[in-house]
Amino acid sequence: MNADIVKLTLRQLAGRRRTAFMVLVALLPAALAVAFRAGGEAGPAEWTSTRLLGGMVVTMLLPLASLVFGTAILGSEVEDGTAVYLLARPIPRREILLSKLGVAWLLTAAYVVPSAAIGGAIAFQGAEGWGPMLAGFVVAILAGSLAYCTVFAFLSLLTGRAFIAGLLYVFIWEGLVTGLFAGTRLLSIRHAALGLAGFVGDASPDVFDPDLGGPTAVFILALATAVAGWLAVRKLQRFEIGESG
Amino acid sequence: MSARPPVTPAGPAPVRIDVDHVSRWFGNVVAVNDVSFTVGPGITGLLGPNGAGKSTLLHVMSGFLKPSAGAVRIGDEPAWLNPGMFRRVGLVPEREATYGFLTGREFVRLAAKLQQLPDPEAAAARAIATVEMGEAQDRATGGYSKGMKQRIKVAAAIVHDPQVLVLDEPFNGMDPRQRLHLMDLLREMAAAGRTILFSSHILEEVERLADSVLVIVAGRLAASGNFREIRRLMTDRPHTFRIRSSNNRELGAAMLAQPSVSGIELDDGAMSVRVADFRGFTRALPKVARDRQVTLLEVAPSDESLESVFSYLVRR
Amino acid sequence: MPPGTEHAGSIYDLGYRPYDGPRLGRRHAVRTVYVESLRAAYGLGRRGASKVIPITLLVIGLLPAAVHLGIAAASRQDVDIVKPEDYSSFIEMIIALFVAAQAPELAGRDQRNRTLSLYFSRAIERRDYALAKLGALVSAMLVLTLVPQTVLFVGNAFTTTSALDYLRDEAPDIPRVLASSLLISGFCASVALAIASRTSRRAYATGGIIALFVMSAAIGGILDATVGRYGIMLSLFDLMTGATYWIFSAGHEYEVPTGLMFAAVVAITAVSVALVLRRYERIPA
Repeated sequence: MNADIVKLTLRQLAGRRRTAFMVLVALLPAALAVAFRAGGEAGPAEWTSTRLLGGMVVTMLLPLASLVFGTAILGSEVEDGTAVYLLARPIPRREILLSKLGVAWLLTAAYVVPSAAIGGAIAFQGAEGWGPMLAGFVVAILAGSLAYCTVFAFLSLLTGRAFIAGLLYVFIWEGLVTGLFAGTRLLSIRHAALGLAGFVGDASPDVFDPDLGGPTAVFILALATAVAGWLAVRKLQRFEIGESG
Repeated sequence: MSARPPVTPAGPAPVRIDVDHVSRWFGNVVAVNDVSFTVGPGITGLLGPNGAGKSTLLHVMSGFLKPSAGAVRIGDEPAWLNPGMFRRVGLVPEREATYGFLTGREFVRLAAKLQQLPDPEAAAARAIATVEMGEAQDRATGGYSKGMKQRIKVAAAIVHDPQVLVLDEPFNGMDPRQRLHLMDLLREMAAAGRTILFSSHILEEVERLADSVLVIVAGRLAASGNFREIRRLMTDRPHTFRIRSSNNRELGAAMLAQPSVSGIELDDGAMSVRVADFRGFTRALPKVARDRQVTLLEVAPSDESLESVFSYLVRR
Repeated sequence: MPPGTEHAGSIYDLGYRPYDGPRLGRRHAVRTVYVESLRAAYGLGRRGASKVIPITLLVIGLLPAAVHLGIAAASRQDVDIVKPEDYSSFIEMIIALFVAAQAPELAGRDQRNRTLSLYFSRAIERRDYALAKLGALVSAMLVLTLVPQTVLFVGNAFTTTSALDYLRDEAPDIPRVLASSLLISGFCASVALAIASRTSRRAYATGGIIALFVMSAAIGGILDATVGRYGIMLSLFDLMTGATYWIFSAGHEYEVPTGLMFAAVVAITAVSVALVLRRYERIPA
């Protein structure tokens, strides 16, 4: 990690309009949890784990936040040509990538974890054994955001349209295809994160029943992070500047 | 302000850039075609029309494009897959963008820190003074004019006092005074044994600054060497003139007998004369015309554009 | 010029002449912007990479029809898996991704390249430009929504036991399909363009549009299950589906009147169109 690159990246990502918009979105789970409590419905454990945390936070908030930060750390710099000021320096490209990736991970986690924790803590009230379940989701968000950010950072080095390509992965592949063909869940960060949440949280299957088991989930997340990270470093080492001129 | 980096002629040993049979193609388009040369200490200008492949070549030389064939070495290091070479190399890219939210001082200081210099603050202050950006250094670079951005980019590139400085179209957007100032700076660095390579599509810039030039046309190296020598070769090349006179036929017959003329074509109202020896021709033409009582109505070179000079050099 | 040298100034006649032929005028200019934007929405006339995403989405949007017809052909009997009134809800995510991907492509490019002033200094007016862009996106969406419906309809006619009976029975659906496709296309295109015209950054626009569709669906779904039945009105996806059911007078499971959902779609469309026009009235160019 390189402190100067970390600082630079943090300043790059501190756009006011985007931050304000995202803070609003982050408050959603808490607002919904309050609404749920006000509705006085039964079954807080199942609703909170399957619908709020599993259905909304892990399936939408987590990949979308990872996509925003994961593609922004390098994507905009590559687009406007400022990347050259980092790359034309005697610093190993691995260090540049890891520093930037660290920022994306940090921001994604700093964004999704409190959102999930607050919303979960409100909605889980009255459920049995909710502490470990919430902890399971926090662990899943930490591991899942690292995997997502790494994959999306690699994607942003591959194509200028990484953002929409990432959306296609999240909504078409993870949202539709894995719903139709169970085998494809092995290639889904979302299902791995859900599996990890269930495993760590030791949730009862009739409350929260992910498709993947704990060891499989850990293996998939580790593999996705390692492969995407290795490919991204390799791609950055072979980074080529525009073909014009 | 007259602060300049302490120029020490007894610096580290000079570094050469070796370009060895480098080609680079994008799909079916060949941008650089089998180019070889060596750049040593002093100022070298890379001259060529727009789209000739200058930027591609500079990107290959600075490790930002992989050569499709051949190799580039900076000193004893390869350029490709070796960011470590930037300890000795400074690069001023062509694109204008800077980190708009950083002030000039922050931008140069970041460069100094990324170079792992022992005292980044002092190095940044020195580089900023060198390009005379002291007054604007605490303003965000996003608000800089073109020329200011260009100068702050130069400051960032020279912050580690590199042995090799590569500049892509550095004079774009600079006003004449800034242009002279940067030229002085580059001359001083060259005098201290640095290797400086800059690209330009403007003949006059290269002529004023460069000790030696590389002329690149359509991806190929068209000429290289001392500027005056190339200039002489350009003047001595066969010229073609378009001549109209009161009697083209008679003047043409007489001129054909001159040793300086290698061929004549007549068409209605004008003739085009291919000249082998420019000086001989310019002396002979008025004499012959006077002797034959022919009135010259028009004498015009028909191929004087820079492109025609380049294309001549390429064809040879 | 060095002092002492003297040159008389001169202007050379290079043969340039003003154009004095007929001009095609504003109407033609608007049509050109419309046609080129429609082509751009599918990456036509652009390099291959720009075609990948719209064409992929178009193909995925055809899958429900293809699956339906495949089953119908294999089972050799009339099947009723995918009904025309359900089609848009099958591909709602595809529809949202399409506008999220392509609305910034239409609206952002001219802002990014600072070419808006070139348009507005021609015969075309700001309002014309906005309407041409909007029309192009609506048309692109009509392609996305109508092509699968056409495939489904023609395919059903061919695989059914009696094509003539099918045509007679289903003919009343044709205007409903057209009306609902137009409604959904206009709705999505105007909402997306209202967001996309506000920023030149493609990723922001895409993110904003998709977040609006997806988050509104999530909130609507959860509020519907907890707070009250009108919560579903917050979900753009459900509004689209409800409005379609209203047009088809089809049975449904919504607890709010679908007529109300239809009215909401029309109202949101109108507001979005107004926002687009207002944006282009004021955008600095």
